[in-house]
This record gives sequence, C-alpha cells and structure tokens, in this order.
Amino acid sequence: MDRRQFLRAATIGTAFAAATPLLSACGAKARGDVVTLEGWDYEAQLVQQNVDRFTRLNPDVAVDYTPITSAQFIQKLTAEFLGGGGPDVLYMYDDSLAGSVEAEYLRPLDGIEGVDAIYDAVYPSNAASMTYQGKRYGLPYYTDSQALVYNAALLEKAGITTPPKTLDELEQQALRVKKAGVLEYPIGLPAQLADTAAQWLWALVYANDADLFDDRFQPVMSASGSAATAVFEWLRHAALDTRVLDPAAVQTLPVPLDNAVMAGRYAFVLAPRYALRSYNNPSKSKVAGAVKLAPVPSLDGRTEGTVSNSRMYCLGQHAADVEKSVRLLKYLGGFDAHGVPYTAKFWFLQRGLGYPFSALAKDPEVVRTIRTFADPIVYGRLAEVARARRIISVPWYAEFEAALQRVAQQVLVGGTSPADAVQDLDRQARTLAQRYA
Amino acid sequence: MLRLTDTRRAYLMNGPAMIVLFALVAYPIGYSFWVSLHRQNLKRPKATKFIGLDNYFALWNDPAFLGSLRTTGLFVLVVVTMTVLLATALALVLNESFPGRGVLRSLALLPWAMPGVVNGLMWRTIFDAKTGALNGLLTSLGLIDTYQAWLSSPAGAFFLTAFAQVWNTLPFAVILLLAGLSTIPPDLYDAAKVDRAGVFQRFRQITLPWLLHPLLIVLILETMNSFRAFDTIYVLTGGGPGDATSVIAVLNVKTALTYTDFGLGSAYAWVITLLTLVVSVGYVAALYRKGSFEL
Amino acid sequence: MTAVPLRYRVPWKRIVVYLVAAAFALYLVLPFYWIFAMSFMREVDAVSVPPEWIPSHPTLDNYLSFFRPDSAQALVGGRAIKETPYALGNSLIVASATALLNLVLAVPAAYSFSRLKFRGGKGLLMLYLVTRMVPTIAILIPFYLMMRSLGLLDNYGSLILSYLTFSLPVTIWVLKDFFRAVPRELEDAARVDRCGWFRTMWSVFLPVAAPGLVAAAVFAFMTAWNEFMFALFMTSTEAAKTMPVVAANFATDMNTQFTLMAAAGVVAVLPPLVLVLIFQRLIVRGMAAGSVKG
Repeated sequence: MDRRQFLRAATIGTAFAAATPLLSACGAKARGDVVTLEGWDYEAQLVQQNVDRFTRLNPDVAVDYTPITSAQFIQKLTAEFLGGGGPDVLYMYDDSLAGSVEAEYLRPLDGIEGVDAIYDAVYPSNAASMTYQGKRYGLPYYTDSQALVYNAALLEKAGITTPPKTLDELEQQALRVKKAGVLEYPIGLPAQLADTAAQWLWALVYANDADLFDDRFQPVMSASGSAATAVFEWLRHAALDTRVLDPAAVQTLPVPLDNAVMAGRYAFVLAPRYALRSYNNPSKSKVAGAVKLAPVPSLDGRTEGTVSNSRMYCLGQHAADVEKSVRLLKYLGGFDAHGVPYTAKFWFLQRGLGYPFSALAKDPEVVRTIRTFADPIVYGRLAEVARARRIISVPWYAEFEAALQRVAQQVLVGGTSPADAVQDLDRQARTLAQRYA
Repeated sequence: MLRLTDTRRAYLMNGPAMIVLFALVAYPIGYSFWVSLHRQNLKRPKATKFIGLDNYFALWNDPAFLGSLRTTGLFVLVVVTMTVLLATALALVLNESFPGRGVLRSLALLPWAMPGVVNGLMWRTIFDAKTGALNGLLTSLGLIDTYQAWLSSPAGAFFLTAFAQVWNTLPFAVILLLAGLSTIPPDLYDAAKVDRAGVFQRFRQITLPWLLHPLLIVLILETMNSFRAFDTIYVLTGGGPGDATSVIAVLNVKTALTYTDFGLGSAYAWVITLLTLVVSVGYVAALYRKGSFEL
Repeated sequence: MTAVPLRYRVPWKRIVVYLVAAAFALYLVLPFYWIFAMSFMREVDAVSVPPEWIPSHPTLDNYLSFFRPDSAQALVGGRAIKETPYALGNSLIVASATALLNLVLAVPAAYSFSRLKFRGGKGLLMLYLVTRMVPTIAILIPFYLMMRSLGLLDNYGSLILSYLTFSLPVTIWVLKDFFRAVPRELEDAARVDRCGWFRTMWSVFLPVAAPGLVAAAVFAFMTAWNEFMFALFMTSTEAAKTMPVVAANFATDMNTQFTLMAAAGVVAVLPPLVLVLIFQRLIVRGMAAGSVKG
C-alpha cells in the first residue's frame, strides 16, 4: 500500500469503515426506493409541483426533493459528496461543473438513450457548457443572458427617450436622471459576494468583444488598453466621481436588487433577461410595463456582446437506481412523450427562464409570452450575441471568480485602482493555475 | 477489592465526560491535523499527497491568509476591548442600587438570547442603505442629509460588524463581571469610605483586584469567541466589501467548503487554534504572575 | 426662620449612574425594538422612508403566516415560513436535551475537581478548555463524516452530540468553581448521618448547588440554541433544522421580506429570552461562586 492509498483510506475511509454495516444498512433504506433530487431553492414550491407531476406520470418512482438555500448550495454538496453520499439528481451551475466533475461528484451521460437528441436540440453554446473534457454531464434547466435593463418611465422624467449605447452615455444619462432629482443613485448592480458568477461584470467585458482570458486560458485582463481595465475605470468613475452608481451595490444581492427595481428605485441595472418577467408583472411590481431591455453598453458603442450562463441537471456519482434517476433527469431536462421539452417550457411560461431548446423560439405560446414582458427583437438579439465563459472549464474557476468579485468590490469602494485591480487578478489567476497544474 | 484512591475515583467521575468529549473531538481534531499535512483538494483527488508542514509554510506567502490574519487580529482587538469596557461599565452601574435596576438587568440579558445569525439579520436591516433604522434615526436628528450605505466602505463595514458582534456578546461578559462584583464584601467599601477614599481610588484599590479573576475569564472566553466569529459577519457582510471583513473563519469556510481545498483549510483552522491558545496562555500567565489565578 | 446653610451637594454619582444606565438601556433595547416593531408592520410600512418607529397599521399577519404558510402572503419566502414552526420545536428539543445531558456528564466531573486532589487534574482541566479553542470549521468535516456513518444526519442526535462537545468544557468549569464554594461541612454532616454518596449528592449537595446548575444549564442551552454552522450542515429538512438555519434562509432565500424576517427573528429570540429572564437571579448567583478569587 503506497502512501497515497493509505492517505485516502485514512482520511475518507476510517470515519465510516468502523461502521460499515450500519452505513450499508441505512444506505439501503435511503437509496433505491427513492430518487433524491437536490437543487438551490429557487421557487421550491413550483419545483415540487413539477416533481409531483412526474411522480403521477411515473407511479413506480418516488422522488425526495430537498431545496437548499442557494448561498450554501455548493458548500452542502461538498459536505455530502465528501461523506460518500450526495443526491441522485442535482442542479448544477455551469460555473461549478468542471470542479464537480474533477471532484468525481458526477456521472457522464454519454451513451444514455435520448441524450444525443437533447444535445442536438439545444443551443450549441448551451451544449458546450454542459460538456467537460469531451463528456456530457448535464441536461438543460435554463440558459439566459445579461442585458441592460432600464426603467423607461424614470428616464422619461429626465427627458431621455433612447437607452444608452456606450458606457459613457449610460453614465451621462444616469447623471441627467440624478440631476433631474428623479433618483439619487440611478444605477444599481448586484455586486455583493456570491458563489455564482458576477454575471454583470462579465457582461460589461463581453460587450466589448473582449475577455479576461485568451483561448489558452492565459489571463489577458492586465494587458495595456484591455477592456477589463477600461470597465473597472468606468465603474470607479460612476461610483466615486459622478456618483451615479449606488454605493450600496457592494451589499446588494440579486433578489434585493430585483425588489428595488420593482419598487422603482433604479433607472438602470444589469440583469438577466428573465428578470423582466417579474419586473413587468403588475401583481409583483410597481413599475410593470415601464421596464425595458437593451443591449449591454460597450466602451465605444461599436461592439455588441454579453455573457450567457446555463443551469443544468446532473446525475450524481452515487445514484443507486440509475434507470429511475435518468427518467427523472430526462423529465426535467429532456422531452416528454410528445417531443416537447415540458419542464423547460414550464419554467419559461411560469418565470421567464430562458429556454435552452432552440425550437421553442418558434413555439406560439412562447412567442406570445415574450411579448408580455420584453421586446422580442432585443430579447432574441441578446441571445445571438451572448457568449458563454470558456474559462469556467478550469478547475480553479471558483477561486478566480471569488477573487474577481472581491477586486470589483474594492474598485467600487475606491480601495484599489483599476490598474492595480487587473494586475492583482492577473497574478491571482497565474498563482491558481500553477497551484492546480 | 480494588481500593478507590482519590485519583481513581476522580477519573471514574470524569469518565463519562472524557469519553464523550474526547471521542467526539479527538478524532476530528486528529483528522483535521492529519489533513493539514497533505495537499488535499477534492477537485484534485489524484494529487493528494503528504507534504508535511508545507501548507503551514505556504501561509507566510499567502496574501489572502495574511490579509485575513490582520483583519482577524484587529477584529479581536476591537471586539474584546469594546466588550470589556462596556461590560465593566454596565456591570458597575448594575451593581449600584437605583430604581429601575431590575429592568436594566433584564435588558442586559436581551442580546444574549439572540442567535448570531439573527443578530446579523437584525443589524443588516438597521444598517440598510435604503430603509435602515440608522439612516432614519440620523436623518431625523439632522446629523446626515441623505441616506448612507454604511456597510459599503471598508472601514464602515469593519467597525459596524465589530459593533454588531459586541452587542451580541456583551451580556455574557456582564453576567460574569456582575457575579464577580456581587462577591465583594460590602464592608470593604465602608472601610474605604471611612478612609475617605474617592470613587476612583475605591475602584482601583477594591473593585479592580476583585474583578481580576472574572475579567480574566471574560478576556479568555471573548477572545476565543471573537477569533471564531462567523455567524454575524457571514450574514451581515459575507466578508466584504473587498476583504474588509474577511476574517479567518470566513476565509476558512470558503477555502474548505467552496474551494474544496481541505489541506489548506485545515491548516487555517489549526493556526486559529494555536493563536487562541497562545493568547489565552498569555492572559493566564500574566495574571498568574500577579497571583490572582489558580486552577 | 433661620437660613439653612447651603449644605446641599450635587449628587454627581447618582446623576452619572442614571445617565449611564439610560444610555445602556437605549443601546440594549433599541436594535431589538426595531425588528420587534417591524414584525408587526406591513411590508410597505417597514420599508418606508423615513422609517416608522411605531407601526401605523399594526398587523399580526407576519406571525399568523407561520401557521398558514400556504396563504397568499406566504408566496414570498414560502419555504422558510413553512419551516419556522418545526424549527422552533427542533431548537427547543435540541437545546433542552443538550442542557440536560451537560448536567448529567458535568456534575460528577466538576465534583471531582472540587473535592478530590488527583494526579493530572489540572492538566485534564486545561485539556477540557483547549477542546473549546478549536474552531468549529476545523472539526466540521470529520464530525460530519462520523455522524453520517452513525446514521445521525438530519437527526437530533448529531446536533445534540455536537453541542454537547461545545458546551461541556464550559459547564465543567462553571460547576467546578461553584461546587468549590459549597461548604464541605454539608457533605461531612450527611456522611455522619450515614447517607450514601449518591444520596448525599442528590438530597444535600445538588440542592445547595442549584444556582450553579441552573446557570450552567442555561449556558449550555444558549450554546445549542445559537449554533449555526453545524446545524446548517448536519440537517437538511424540517425534521431537524433549527431556528438559526431557518433564519439564515430568510436572509439568503431567493425571495425575502423584511417583516417576515423580523417576525422569525423575534420568534427565535423569545424562548431563550424568557428562560434567561426567569432564571436571571440564579444565573448571576451561580456565576458568582465561580468568580470568587482563587
């Protein structure tokens, strides 16, 4: 027995080696009969409804659904899989896929009947974000892209009729809103630290046809004249000089940001397209009807782009009854008996979550629903120009993303200069890459 | 028949507690130390390797760790100092007799009943930039013109977090000190009054010496608590803005559970333990020399 | 009438005491008052600017929604609301069991330190304290693995065992100091009456030591009631989730309302608050013995 093997046994094994009989006894009860499903707690009641429908259609499968607070989702998965457990079917962020595969949480889906058809039916970037090192790990939950969201009614009060195309225009328009006495801080951002990516920041960079890393995952954010530096400069200027960017941004999580938009407290925010479903819902929002989508402003107004993200369902490494788990997986992320991606459509119709299946773009019910909350042309255009982050396929992405969010906060509060910020990120990315080499 | 010596009897009596405590703590402690001697990241299962103390040596070049060590040190200093000063003042007041003392005494226990997480939530609504009570209060007193985002500046976030932590831990210290004060024989004060000792003299010559032992306990327990402080900070700022409130417990949880780097995470945890130990031993030794401490 | 000589002295000390007492009263009560008042408000009043200090439209809806989580208002933050009543029960059971077990294990141990001189005693006492210095996160993962293999996850067992390890050292320290202050003559007298050791403990010693026992039990109860990190990882459903875990959900849940969060906060504070208010005198007396010099 070499040292490595010994260590594995010592660290992970010993704890329950002594209690193996106990473990297998209770394991047998918990597994096999019931398929366990874990996800972050977005609309847990709707999920339960949808799962109940599945168990009605599949009376031989019992599903135990546990929603986990999103802020602790990744951490709880860590604990569960470390303990040799983990759910049979689970939600996954595209950000965390690489790490989860490397940590052996997930089982590849290649070769399972019907998976190829699903991958053929989703947008290519979506299929790519569910694939890691040539293997397929996820079935799609939703995919969406970031947009500039503006409150047309508030802009009108400041005499503004068209949304900004450049960051400079955005700042100037915000300043007009501020000077007109409409809002003290017209721009809001969800810049609080979180486990999931700061999509807004990536969107600002991607709008310039730029990236933080090159194709070989080498950091390029600190190159002279980089878009990242310019974006940080702009953030600093908007936060500290013109003071149009809400200083509370660094404590704002996405949900409070949504609430503030719906209370009419921001004229501009960066948010995913689906957020408009709620923003323009009169039963939830005071400003329903006034909130509109626009492309993410770039530095010079000549480039177009934004970031897209994907959420998926995966199969846990320790899934006991693979057949039943896969049936649930396909119910959630695949087609029903009529060839309709039922769950994906369900989420779009209920909450506006972006559909991953390209055919849904022509579905009359979907088209009708889009019209109720957004301009279909801008909506479609954002999807066309959106890019997924390729860097999420490095195993150190979680650490880098945390560093990125910290640095962005420091820029926003004036704790560091944009030039130092990008240098710092560059250095951290290189250190991380080295540590994981 | 086995004769029960004092030592045997004592260990028999300690048996149940020792079994529970050491069975449940010794293994985890040993485990985490063992892991801290390895390169062990869940995301790199095949790269797990025994590396001796390398994780510990690496800490001295780890800016995230050094930064959070500074933050933690300052946090402990601020929290412990504020707690001790406020708790002493409050305990001294509560030791006087005045109408309403019973009410104040009850109030003093209120923050104790509040779980750290709820404490964090409460202060978050108070410091809220848009609707918070602090903004409302200061505005109506005319001290500020517009609402401020209190937790957005690094210094503001740091001190307000410390403030929230102090509010939560104060009662515990007050109880200990109050208990200490209640044991001072009243005739000592009477004698001092006859000697025409002033308020401050009496405090220095009678109260303080009697309070040394409870103060020591307060110092040790509060230091241990604030080194470990997590709940309030986690809910209030999550470690931000930037890394202004990223104390070592917050960094530790992230490293182990989000980045799944257990080797490094365990090393962090051991450094906290050692620091706490060193500081506590320091307190004990200082008071031991003064002859006011015994086990 | 003769003029009374001006012998009136300004009672500086009284004034200072009153001022400081008033300042402390505000400091202690205002933050809690804020969420207390908020818990009786409608959401729109809670977020009004300037803030309402007294609810203008007082309502019990926030509290009632814990009993009917499926009602319209509960659409916001639904799951945390549903879990609140369960969590309250779980917290009460776990904290009470922790307190009780603490006494059972700590009384004999503390007694031995207070009455017997034995080799390694001081070392053992220090060792107990050292286990308290290990940060929770250090033992979280191995503890999780142990509890998993014992089949105690999402179960009161794992929580009670973990809180027992957190509070037992402090309990032993507190009780040891208190027991020392109990005069030995009591037991000697009982022994003369030929009471057995257990009888002596039960009917003579422990009643006298009651304040210490109460203080220690309350401390253990609070430790268990307030703990967050272990509860977060050891539990996953309303079968064992405790109040701090559910309260944290109010903060991080996808949907959140200030007023509901405030109501949950008040609910989380009330049981331990009632407990400390009932026992406050005993707690201070219980601690007092331990604070005696030496």
